[in-house]
Amino acid sequence: MSPSSEALAGPILWFANRGTGMVLLVLYTLVVVLGLGSAAGSGPGRLVPRFVAQGLHRTLALLASLLLLAHVVTAVADDYVDIRWFDAVLPVGGLYRPVFLGLGALSLDLLVAVGLTSALRGRLSDRVWRRVHLAAYPSWAAAVVHTLGIGTDLTTSWGRWTVAACVCAVSVAAIARTVGRLAPARP
Amino acid sequence: MTTTLAVRTAPPVRVVAHPGPVLLAGIADGPSLAAHRARCGTMPVADLVQVLAAAEAAAVTGRGGAGFPLARKLRAVAEHAGRRPGRRPALVVNLAEGEPASAKDSALALLAPHQVLDGADIVARALRVREIHVVSPAERPAVGAAVEAAVTERVEAEDHVGLGNRGRWSGSGGPIRWHLHEAAPGFVSGQARAVLELIAGRPGLPVTAWAPEAISGLDGRPTLLSNAETWAQVAAALRLGPIGYAAHGTSAEPGTTLLTLPQREEPDGAVVVEAAYGSPWEQVLGDDVNRPVLLGGYHGTWAAPGALRQLTVSRVELRRHGLTLGAGVVLPLAADECPVTTTWRITAYLAAASAGRCGPCRNGLPALAAELGRLADGDGSVSWTRITALAGLVDGRGACAHPDGTARLVRSMLTTFEDEVAVHLTGGCRA
Amino acid sequence: MRVDWPVCAARGLCSELLPERIRLDEWGFPIIEGELGEELVGHAQAAVSACPHRALRLIARG
Repeated sequence: MSPSSEALAGPILWFANRGTGMVLLVLYTLVVVLGLGSAAGSGPGRLVPRFVAQGLHRTLALLASLLLLAHVVTAVADDYVDIRWFDAVLPVGGLYRPVFLGLGALSLDLLVAVGLTSALRGRLSDRVWRRVHLAAYPSWAAAVVHTLGIGTDLTTSWGRWTVAACVCAVSVAAIARTVGRLAPARP
Repeated sequence: MTTTLAVRTAPPVRVVAHPGPVLLAGIADGPSLAAHRARCGTMPVADLVQVLAAAEAAAVTGRGGAGFPLARKLRAVAEHAGRRPGRRPALVVNLAEGEPASAKDSALALLAPHQVLDGADIVARALRVREIHVVSPAERPAVGAAVEAAVTERVEAEDHVGLGNRGRWSGSGGPIRWHLHEAAPGFVSGQARAVLELIAGRPGLPVTAWAPEAISGLDGRPTLLSNAETWAQVAAALRLGPIGYAAHGTSAEPGTTLLTLPQREEPDGAVVVEAAYGSPWEQVLGDDVNRPVLLGGYHGTWAAPGALRQLTVSRVELRRHGLTLGAGVVLPLAADECPVTTTWRITAYLAAASAGRCGPCRNGLPALAAELGRLADGDGSVSWTRITALAGLVDGRGACAHPDGTARLVRSMLTTFEDEVAVHLTGGCRA
Repeated sequence: MRVDWPVCAARGLCSELLPERIRLDEWGFPIIEGELGEELVGHAQAAVSACPHRALRLIARG
C-alpha cells in the first residue's frame, strides 16, 4: 500500500463507523416503532396493511443486523482507537470509553438473542419467543445511550436532532401501544 | 305432576337416587367397599384383549355427553402406548360434573363409588398402568370426600385382584396409586382438556387439542379419560359378561344409563334414576312427557310437548329425531315456564361460564344472550336473522365444545318452538 | 387450516394474506371457509408464518 492511501485508511474506517452508527440508530428505531405499531388499531385507520408493516419490520431488522456487522467490523479494523473484536460482544473490559462501548456490546448481544429466537421460531414455544423478543426494547435503549456517549457526531446539531427524533418516535409509539392495550377491545 | 325448572347455576343441594337394575342396584347397602364386594364379588381380572372384547360387546359409550365408543378409545390408547416414560398411558376418572343440573356422577361417587373405581382399576391393570387420576368437582365437596374415603378403603384393604375364571393376571400386579384432584369451579372445568390441564398443574381451562387425548393427552402420553359413569359401565360389562349385561337394554344399545331429573317439590334437589336403554320416556317422565322437555342439559335439545311420548331412552333413536341425550340431564318445564325465556336464561348462564379464552366464544355468547334477552322480553327490535347468525358464528370456533353446545341449544329452540318464537317476535308470550 | 382459538388475538394478518379463504368476523377473528387447493398453499403458508401469535396451523389432510 502506498503511504498516502495508508494515511487515508484510518479516517475512512472511522467515518464509515460513525456513518453506519447513525444510520443504524435510525433503522433500529424504525424497526422498534414498526414492532410497537403492530398491535395498533384495526380496519380503516391503518396506513398500510398489517402484513406489510410486519414484512417491513422483519426486513429492516435483517438489514440493520447486516449494517451492525459493518459497524462492528469498521470499529475493530480501524486503528485510531483500540477496539478489539471481543469488545463488540463483551460489555465489560473495553479500553476506549468502556461504559458506552460496553452498552453497544450489550445492545448487540440482546439483538443476537432476538434474532436467533426469531430465526428458530418454529422450534420454540410462543411464550419463550415473546419473552426474549422483549429484549429488543433494552437493546434499543442501550444503543441510544451508546450513541449519546460514544457518538462523535453528537457535537453536531444534526446528530443531536437525529437522536432526539428517534427517542421521540419510540416514546410516542410506546405510549400509543400502552393506551391501546388499556382501552377496551372492539366496539 | 309439574316440576319447576329453576335454571340452575349451582349444583343441587340434595341428591336422591332411586335403586336401579345395575349401577344403582346396591345403593341401599351403603357405599362401603365391603358392601360392594359382598354384592358384586371380587374384582374381575382381565387382560387388554378381554377388556376390549367386553367393551365392544357391551357397546360401552362415553357417558360424559359425547357418547364416543369406549372400545375405540381404548384401542387407540393401547396402540400408542409404549414402555418409554413419554409413552406410558395415563388413566383419568372424570368426576368433575361441571353441569349444575347434572347429579349422576355425584350420585355414583356418594352411593356406589367402587363401581366407578373398579372400572378404572381393571382397565389400568389391563393397560399395565399403575397410576389413576380422579378429578372431583370443587363445587360439590361431598363428592371429593366420598372419593377420598373410597380410595382409602381400597388402599387399606390392599385390594388384591382375585384369580377368577376370566384369566390370569400375569405380571407383578402391584397396588394402584391413586391421585385425587379437585377441578376448578365452573361449567367448562369438566371438559377433557381442561381436566388434563389441571392435572398437569396449569389452570383447569380448555386448550386446543391438536390430537385426541387418547393419542396425545397428559404430558403428551396416550390418555384414557372417561366420565365416571363410563368407568362404572365398563366394570359392569366385565363383571356381568356380554349376556348378563345385555339382560337390560336393547340389542343395539345394551345396558342402562343414568339420568338426572329435577325433584318434585324440592327445587334445590335432583333425582338420579337408572333407565335401561329402550325404556319408554312415558315410563321415566310420567305426565311430564306432555310438557316441553330439555333433553341433554344446557348443551342439549328441546323436545316439543308430547314428542317424547312415542320415543324411548335411546341415543340412536333420539338422534334420528334431532334430539340428544348428552350426559343424561332431563329437564321438563313447568306449566308457567316459557321455553324461550328459559333458553335465554340458560344462554346467559353459559355466556358467563365461558372460560373467556377464545374470542368467538367470549364475544359471541354474551351477544347471543343479549339478543335472546330481547326476544324473551318481546322487544320488537330483535332479529331472528341475527340470532341464527350469532349461533353460526360461535359454532365450532373455540377450543372446546362450549360454544357448539350453546349454539345447539339455541337452534333447537328456534326449530322446536317456531310458534312461540314467532309470538315473542311480535311482543307476546304464551306461557 | 386450523386456528388455535385460545391463542388467537384477532390481529388479522391471516385474512390479509389469504382473503380467498379467510375473512374476519365482527370481532376480528378469522372465519375459515372452503378447501385449500394446491394453488393457495403458498399463500396459506405465508399466513401461517405471519401470525404474530402462531395461532394458525396447516394440517395435512390424510
